[in-house]
Order: sequence, then C-alpha cells, then structure tokens
Amino acid sequence: MSWLLQRVDDRLIHGQVVVAWGGRMHPQRMWVVDERAAANPWEKDLLASAAPGAEVRVVTVAAMAAAWAEEERAAGGAFLLVRDLATALALVEAGANVRRWNLGGLHHAPGKTKVNEYIYLDDGDRARARSLLARGVALEVQDVPGARPEPLSTLDPESAPA
Amino acid sequence: MPRTPALLVMHSDLADALLRAAEKVYGAVEGVEVLSNEGLSRDDLEQAITRRVADWHGGGLVLTDFWGGSCHICGVAAARGHGDVVVVTGINLPLLLDYLHNRDEYGPMALADRLIRKGRDSIRLHHGQVA
Repeated sequence: MSWLLQRVDDRLIHGQVVVAWGGRMHPQRMWVVDERAAANPWEKDLLASAAPGAEVRVVTVAAMAAAWAEEERAAGGAFLLVRDLATALALVEAGANVRRWNLGGLHHAPGKTKVNEYIYLDDGDRARARSLLARGVALEVQDVPGARPEPLSTLDPESAPA
Repeated sequence: MPRTPALLVMHSDLADALLRAAEKVYGAVEGVEVLSNEGLSRDDLEQAITRRVADWHGGGLVLTDFWGGSCHICGVAAARGHGDVVVVTGINLPLLLDYLHNRDEYGPMALADRLIRKGRDSIRLHHGQVA
C-alpha cells in the first residue's frame, strides 16, 4: 500500500497532518524529508513525539531516495512530508517516483506573493513548480481532506510551464 | 512567590475566545498573552513564541490546544533552553480558570501538574436527571 499522502508543508508534522489526514488515512509511518531536521537529534525526537500511533522517520533527501523502493513495497500506509518546493523537486530529481504533491501550507515570508490563504510563492518556488509540472508531477493545493483539491497552475498561472 | 506567567497559543482565534470566556467567569484578566498560529510558518510561530517567553526568567506556562499541533510543537521548540518554561496541551476553560486562581501560589512545574489534573477532572459525564 505504502504512500497515502505526499505533502509540501512548511510546518511538517502538525495538526492538519496528524488529526485531519492522519485520522482519515491512519498511516503507519511518516517520513519527514528535511536536511535541517535530519541533522538535529533534538528536532528528530520532537517530530517523533508529535505523531502518536505512527513511526516517524526524519531523513535526508539522499536517504529517502535510497529507501524509496523498499517503502513502496512496504506493508501499511505512509505519509511523505517536506517543508518546501526545493526539497520536493530535489527528491524527484534524486529518483523518488512522486506522481502528485499535495501543497498543504507554504506560508507568507518576505518576497512571496499570495496564491490563497495558505500558499505563498516567490519566483524560485514558481520555477521549481514549473520544473515539477514539466516532469509530469501533479501539484494539488489542498489543506485538509474535506477541501476540494485544486491544481496549482489553475490558482497561479505563473506556476504553469510555458 | 512570583506570579507564574502564561501564554495561550492556539489555532484560529481560540486563545482569544477562551480568554474572553474566562473573563466572563473570573473577571478582568491581566498578564496573560494570547497568540494565534493563523497564517504562520513553523519558523515564524516558533519565533513569535520565543519572543514572548524570552523574559520569563522564572519560567512560565505555554498553554496550547492539542498535542501534535503546530502550537504544541513550536511551543516545545521555543521553550527549549528557557529553563522552567513548561508546555501544557489540551487546555480547556476549567483548566484556564484554575490557572488564574492559582498562578500566584505555584511555580511552573507544580502549577502544570495541578492544571493537568484539573483539566482531566473537569471532563465528566452527566447522563439523565439528577435524583
């Protein structure tokens, strides 16, 4: 069964992931792919404690790519969480066979413009989005399961490949 | 005993609403700050909490809504390295009222222990008519 949700969210593990998506899909594993968190044992422990009932694995892009084939064959479902589009693209470029990224939360920061209430992008984000879309990876904006997923390129035409 | 300060960090406008509800029962409240996670990234929320607890030299309580949410996670991250700053999750109105009544009597850890008991004890079942 393996992948149930592959999500870009700058909060990584948080309420929407644990309660809304987790409560509906019951993942056995949550893979957090994040260079910064993977290098910080304290942060790894914090993330592991935040999702009772799931095994949390905090790894680098390279480690996730190496474990990808095994995870796809694994029993039970899994979530994949990255904090930004740079990591999402890096993971795909490293060989991870992601067909659809759920865009669940990229919040306001200097230089970013609003797409909707929870997605803000800058030029670099849009270039990465175009690169992912050009590779055939779908980008769907949806914060919680009850919301309607919308293609990023519909909400933000600048993110669509030429 | 110096007063144990508290910061309410919750989703949407829950912290503000909870404090307003507490004031209806307790009266005017001073010295309790509120913060919403609305629209904030993980880093921004953590920094916002860190700024508010930075001068709690005797410690204090970060009161959040539920375990595993961004308010909880960022509270724990912000409390790291700040001594006796304690994060409590699952805050309800009876617990907040008990905090207000006892914040001058207990230090952060003892008060957190008390509030957890009070919060749990406040959840009760009342089925049918009282005889």
